[in-house]
Amino acid sequence: MMDRAEARLRSSPFIVRDAQLQACVEDIACLLAGNHCPDIRVYLARTPYFNASMAPNGMMQVWSGLMLRADNEAQLAAVLGHEIGHYLERHSLGRLRAASSGATAAQIMGFFGPAGLLGGVAVAAGLQGYSRDHEREADRIGALLMSKAGYDVRKAAKVWENLLAELKARPGGPQTRRTLFATHPPQEERQKALAELAAAYPGGEANAAPWHERIKPFLREWLADEIKRGQREESIAFLTRAVAQRPAAQEYLYARGEVYRLRAAAGDLDAALADFQEATRLGSEPPETHRSLGFIFRVRRQAPEAIASFQRYLEATPQAPDADMIRSYLEELRV
Amino acid sequence: MRLISICLLVAVLAGCTANLKRLDTGETLLGERLAVDLRDPWTQVNVIGQPPRWTIEGLPLDMLLVYPGVKDGAAIYKAPAGSEAKVVSFRASMQPEEIIAMFEAALSAGGSTFTLTKLEPKTFIGRKGLRFEFGFLRRSDNMRLSGVGFAAVDNAELFAMLYIAPRLEFFGRHQAKVEQTAGSAKLWARSATLAQETAKPAQPQQERPCITTMECRARGEVYTR
Repeated sequence: MMDRAEARLRSSPFIVRDAQLQACVEDIACLLAGNHCPDIRVYLARTPYFNASMAPNGMMQVWSGLMLRADNEAQLAAVLGHEIGHYLERHSLGRLRAASSGATAAQIMGFFGPAGLLGGVAVAAGLQGYSRDHEREADRIGALLMSKAGYDVRKAAKVWENLLAELKARPGGPQTRRTLFATHPPQEERQKALAELAAAYPGGEANAAPWHERIKPFLREWLADEIKRGQREESIAFLTRAVAQRPAAQEYLYARGEVYRLRAAAGDLDAALADFQEATRLGSEPPETHRSLGFIFRVRRQAPEAIASFQRYLEATPQAPDADMIRSYLEELRV
Repeated sequence: MRLISICLLVAVLAGCTANLKRLDTGETLLGERLAVDLRDPWTQVNVIGQPPRWTIEGLPLDMLLVYPGVKDGAAIYKAPAGSEAKVVSFRASMQPEEIIAMFEAALSAGGSTFTLTKLEPKTFIGRKGLRFEFGFLRRSDNMRLSGVGFAAVDNAELFAMLYIAPRLEFFGRHQAKVEQTAGSAKLWARSATLAQETAKPAQPQQERPCITTMECRARGEVYTR
C-alpha cells in the first residue's frame, strides 16, 4: 500500500518540482537523520497547510504551508526533526499495526487523498494522532538531532509558539486547540520542556537569510494559496509576524492587505489600504497591489485614484486574466 | 446504467443519499426565480445541504454547479463535518472580484488549486454580470480540470453557474452546451405581488408566456410547449 501511495505521490501535480528547493530540504533532512539519511525520500507538496509527515517506509512529505511559515532553516528543521524522531522510534509503525482500516492507515501515513481533502492546520496536525508520550519523545529526539546538525534548538519552541498564536487568532480557538493538541502535551508543559532542551543544547544557527532566498521564487504562489485558504484570522496572525520579521515585506504586506480586503469587517478596508500603500512605498510590490488599491478606491467612489491605480496595474500586466474586467471598470469610472 | 453509476458515486462521495432527476430539453425552472432553456438533457444530482449539481457524463467527471438565488449572508460552501471549520458566504455588497474570490475559496477548500485564466464583464440573467474561466487541480484525484463560470447579482441574490470538467476531454466537448445554457438563463418573478415589489423586474410577467404547467394554472392560461 505504501509503495502504491508513494508512486502516486511521486507523479502528483501538487509536487513542487524545483531542484534547488528540493536539494535544500533534503540536505536539512539528511543533516538531521545522520546515518538514516539514505532511508529518507523527501517530497515537497504544494499544500497551503502547516504539516510534515513521515511514513514508516521513509517517505517524508513537507507541505508548502509549513515551508512558507518557517522563519528560518532551524524552524523547518525542528518540525522535520520531530517527524524523524517519530520515524526512528517507529511510532507510526505501531499505530499502523493497530489501525483498524486501510483509510486509517492512510491517514496515519499522511497520504494524499482523504487526508488531503480535510485540510487545515488543526486537522493536519490532529491526523498524526500520536500519544502524548510519543510526542514528548519526538520533541526530545528532534532537539537532539537539531543540535547535532548545528541548528539553534531554541527555534523548536518558537515554531510551535507561532503555530499556537495562529490557532488562538481563529474564532473558536479553544475548540481548534482541542483538535490540534489533543494528543500533544499541554502547551505550557511543552514550552517548558523545549526550553530545557534548548538550554541543554546551546548554540547553533538559525539560517534565516538562506532560507528566505530559497523560498523567494515561490513566495507569490504560496501567499496566493494562503489567501485562498480563507482562514482570515490565522493568515493575518502569520502575515503580521512575517511583515515585522522578514525581508520582502512588500509581498507580505500585499497578502495581508488582500486578506483584510476580502474579510471586509469593520475597519478592514482602511487596514488593507494602509498595507497596499506601504507595499507601494517600499517598492517592487506585486502588480496586483495596484489592482487592489483600485478596487478600494472604486468602492469608495474616488474615481481619479481608482483610475490611476487600475491603469498602473494594466501597464504592469496588460495580459492579466482580468484585464477585460478592469478595462470595463475604467470605462465606467471615466463616465 | 449511467444513472446507477452516478447514484453510487455520489452516495460514496457525499456519504449521504443523493436524489437524481433527469432534466429534459426545454425551459426549466430553478429555485424560485431562475429559468433556463435546455437544448440538451442533463442529470440533476441533489445532495442535502449542497447546491444542485448537473452532469452530462456523470459525477465526478463533469459538473455544473447551479446557484439559483443565494441570499445575502448565505453560505455557498460549508466544510464537511470533522474537518477544519470553514464557511464561505455570499454578501450582497460583493464586487465581481470578490465573487471570484468567494468561488476560489470554496473550490480551493481541502487544498485543490484554482487558477483564474479569464474574467470579463458579461450579461447573465439579463443583468450586468461576469464570466470567468479557470483551471482547477483537484486534490482528491490529482485531476487537471478546466472551468467556466457565470454570475450576476439581482435584488441582493446571487445567481451563478459553474461548470468544471477534465481539461483534456470533457470540458471541450461540453463547453458550448454550458455556454448555451448559461446564455438562456433568465429571471422570472415569483408572483405578481413580488413582481410589483421588485424595482427592476427581470421580465414583466405579462410579456412572457407561462413556462410550466403550475405557473400556467396559477395565471389561468393554457400551457403549451
